[in-house]
Amino acid sequence: MLIVSYKRPVSLVLLADILAFGLLFFYREPHDFYILGAGLLVIGLIAGTYLLIVKKGLGDEYLFLIVSMLTSIGFIMIYRLNRELGFKQIIWFFGGIGLFFASYFVYIRIKIWDKLMYVYAFASFGLFLITLVFGSTIKGSTNWIVIKGFSFQPSELIKILFIFTLACYFNHSDQIFLNALTLKLKQIKLKGRIALMVIVYMFMGFLLMQRDWGTALLFFIIYITMMYAFDSNMKFLLLNSLIAALGGVAGYFALYHIRVRVETWLNPWTDISGKGYQITQSLFAIGSGGFFGTGLGMGRPDFIPEVTTDFIFSAICEEMGIFGGVAVVLLYFILAYRGFKIVLNTGDRFKKAVALGITCMFGFQTFIIIGGVIKLIPLTGITLPFISYGGSSLTTSFIALGILQAISKLGDQDGGSIADEREQESH
Amino acid sequence: MYEMLSSIMKYIFITIIYLFIYGIIRLIYLDISSMGAKGKQVLKKGGKLPYIKLINRRENLGFKVEETYIIDGNMELGRSNKNDIVIKDPYVSGKHLKFIMKDGKVSVQDMGSTNGSFVNGMRLGSDPVYLEDGDKIHIGQMDFLYVEK
Amino acid sequence: MEGVLRMKENKKVINILIVMSVLFLSLIVYITYFELFVKEDIIINSYNQRQRETEENTVRGRIFDKNGVVLADSTKTETGWKRTYPYGALYSHVIGYSSSIYGKSMLEASYNDYLLGVGKGDSIFSFGNMDESGMKHGDDLYLTIDHKLQKLAEQGLGDRNGAVVAMNPKTGEILALASKPAFDPNEDRLGANWQAMVESENHIFLPRATQGLYTPGSTFKTVISAGALENGLGDLVIEDNGTVVIDGKPFSNTGKKAYGEIGMKEALAVSSNVFFSQVGVKLGEDKLKELARKFGLEKDIPFDIPVSKSRFSYDHMEETDMAAVAIGQGKLMLTPLHMAMITSCIANNGVMMKPYLVSRIVSHDGKEVKATEPSVLYDVISPQTAGAIKLMMREVVESGTGKSAAIEGVNVAGKTGSAENELTAKQEDKNHTWFIAFAPVENPKIAVAVIMEYSGSTGGKLAAPVAREIIKAYLDKS
Repeated sequence: MLIVSYKRPVSLVLLADILAFGLLFFYREPHDFYILGAGLLVIGLIAGTYLLIVKKGLGDEYLFLIVSMLTSIGFIMIYRLNRELGFKQIIWFFGGIGLFFASYFVYIRIKIWDKLMYVYAFASFGLFLITLVFGSTIKGSTNWIVIKGFSFQPSELIKILFIFTLACYFNHSDQIFLNALTLKLKQIKLKGRIALMVIVYMFMGFLLMQRDWGTALLFFIIYITMMYAFDSNMKFLLLNSLIAALGGVAGYFALYHIRVRVETWLNPWTDISGKGYQITQSLFAIGSGGFFGTGLGMGRPDFIPEVTTDFIFSAICEEMGIFGGVAVVLLYFILAYRGFKIVLNTGDRFKKAVALGITCMFGFQTFIIIGGVIKLIPLTGITLPFISYGGSSLTTSFIALGILQAISKLGDQDGGSIADEREQESH
Repeated sequence: MYEMLSSIMKYIFITIIYLFIYGIIRLIYLDISSMGAKGKQVLKKGGKLPYIKLINRRENLGFKVEETYIIDGNMELGRSNKNDIVIKDPYVSGKHLKFIMKDGKVSVQDMGSTNGSFVNGMRLGSDPVYLEDGDKIHIGQMDFLYVEK
Repeated sequence: MEGVLRMKENKKVINILIVMSVLFLSLIVYITYFELFVKEDIIINSYNQRQRETEENTVRGRIFDKNGVVLADSTKTETGWKRTYPYGALYSHVIGYSSSIYGKSMLEASYNDYLLGVGKGDSIFSFGNMDESGMKHGDDLYLTIDHKLQKLAEQGLGDRNGAVVAMNPKTGEILALASKPAFDPNEDRLGANWQAMVESENHIFLPRATQGLYTPGSTFKTVISAGALENGLGDLVIEDNGTVVIDGKPFSNTGKKAYGEIGMKEALAVSSNVFFSQVGVKLGEDKLKELARKFGLEKDIPFDIPVSKSRFSYDHMEETDMAAVAIGQGKLMLTPLHMAMITSCIANNGVMMKPYLVSRIVSHDGKEVKATEPSVLYDVISPQTAGAIKLMMREVVESGTGKSAAIEGVNVAGKTGSAENELTAKQEDKNHTWFIAFAPVENPKIAVAVIMEYSGSTGGKLAAPVAREIIKAYLDKS
């Protein structure tokens, strides 16, 4: 066996999993052998996947490593909270790894990703329409499709399609810019921009109709961020920001739901048993852990509503302490950092845009949900990537990760390394 | 009983997670500084040094390898991490090849590798062979072009 | 061209990275801030069921007086563990109550975590504190209170409303803390009378000793004397004709009695308003404010249970205000606890000690978890000034208005006080009466402050004997 050391972080993930699954074995009476079995499979899969990535040089080694630690923390908390969901999450994890590799290879193989803008857009609208017509409302949001007991959220998948749509646009728009042509082209570019804006706002409109505020916010942030990075026209950026600000204010006054969320954020104590219930229970939990937590299984995170999904972070803070919570934030930060590194190292604009979109998706989504459950910002119902329970969330996250992984491999080969730059100079 | 285990474990878990974070940051930092060092090398010597350039397509090779390796003095090449140039090609031996720089001239010597080293198609013996601009070097699955100004 | 554009893009990407870093950092900072500063106030909310969980699995620690008398107990009944108070109303304003319906008050609230065995300093491994049935036992509190004195204090008050505070001037230990009216904190009695008590005009739930605010009346002349001595007015002699007019307002002695030419010692002994009102004017606004501040007025008093801040609510003072304050009237209000602390300060050579109720906390298996050490709160006046005041107060008991506090063989020092209230305007006889005292003068061991509401008289007849009995009982034992 490998020597366990900080010099090989993978050994630490495996060690943490061994100890955690071992501890969980004793958690329930009678002692649960299934969790030991599941634990061994998980450990094997993590070790195997990591070795595969490193030995075969399948791109950045750190992405999977960080995600493996995050998902491990996820299973452990979810199993502790709900045995059945814990096992389900582990199964989704296996599926997720499969999708991870699938996305990786598929992405590398297919070269025409940047030409399918309308395919993505139509597919997204299609999914939105289906959800609108056939969708079920679960916990206030009408963005679920339920087939034979299996529920999944199309909006998760649409996130990726959305990123690809934007990336296509920003790829082309630049080419237009380079060809120093006349007014005609400027008009086309203007139309292109407006067309994109229309598409984006339609997307957001659908989400708002579904009452999925968190995802709408996320889409908007991704749009603005990518516009900032790839479009040299700052005025347009400001215009959009203004629209957003006005829209937000209008929404606050016009929509009861939004007003409630903002008021509950500012002072949940006036209605602790009603509107403020979720956030106050979350705060009680976070405050009950101390710096090291109560210990796994020793706190009462079961008092928190939605604890396996939106509020999983609060449960982590209660049982694994403030240090545990901060560690999770740091892990997401390093993940985002790695993502940005990949963005910088990629030459091709399309790939750059996709990588940026995915990195921002992970980063901002994490900020929005953690910020919401600690009451830094108003609460929105989105998931914590890789940790929250949820098939759709986990699979989408792994698909996105796979794509990011693929870009890290490809980008490395065309235009990222120093020797290439040097070569260009000498020719 | 479980309470005691869990109470002890919480400290252990936190320690492991933070060691993990530290480990990753450390590796990333090492990566950056080695890239930075290479960059500095390039900037400092300004392209006056000889180098070997990979001819194969990198994506066809199943292992991580750079496009170019600068020959900056005596350098050893092989699979083992102890080499100056580390390439994890399964067909490359632990210590495969050595570049020797003397009086501004570069020669290459096979270190007793399993699959051999080839210069311009000719397999090297145990003696060093001088390299000239344009020579082709074959080791493992890779073909390199030797470039010297 | 391509290269420049890429560089610009990369720069923007880095900016985005910076923004994201700031966001993540804000998460970490906010979480830490929450843990350090906010969570304490939040987790005690009754909607946090975790508290209830801990309570149901723990036998609440007991509370003892300084000699081991049980003041609050946990007894086992068929329906579970019950909190009992053997002495009922005697400690309702000190220990308070612990009820699942009505919550917790006083020491039951402020030391809740120790009583449940989860206070700071309690070990996380609590195996020593479990009994055979698996129930955890909380820590026991040993108070500084002397049960015998507490009983005497309560008896002394009789059926009058008011408060008695007795403390050790050298250490700050509170030996007795009695408030009347009081209520029975045992759960069944609480429930039976709750509504009536809440609505009573008598303010049963007001702990007068710590939160009752009263004008100090003539007892404040001790403070004024200190101010006078520290500002060079010690040798002041005034012609006392029974009344003096300051800025159009008359200030008279009780019964308008004239004393002729008197100095400070005699003025304090007979409690001359004519003398002290003029002293107040001579000290002036700034010196009076500084005096009040030094003695701790308008400042929070750190204590084991909530204490109201004593008031000195003046922005600008006219001469009549200065005169009024100097005889302990006007916008001047103190708690009986603070009065006892001022008395102790004088007794303790000018050093005011921090008052405390809980002497030590001991875990169920006998380990000392926390012990309180005496500590200085303020250095108020010099030992010389204090010494002079001590002698003046001795004179009050020897030959002045406090004769009924005298004890044979013991040098007792004291001061009477009569505080005006809303009824005084109509009938003199409804003043609040104060008496403060300490003994023995040469080596003070105990200081007492007594106040009786709406009792008329000047304090000498009613309040002084209460102080005397307490001092006597305490010194007889030590």
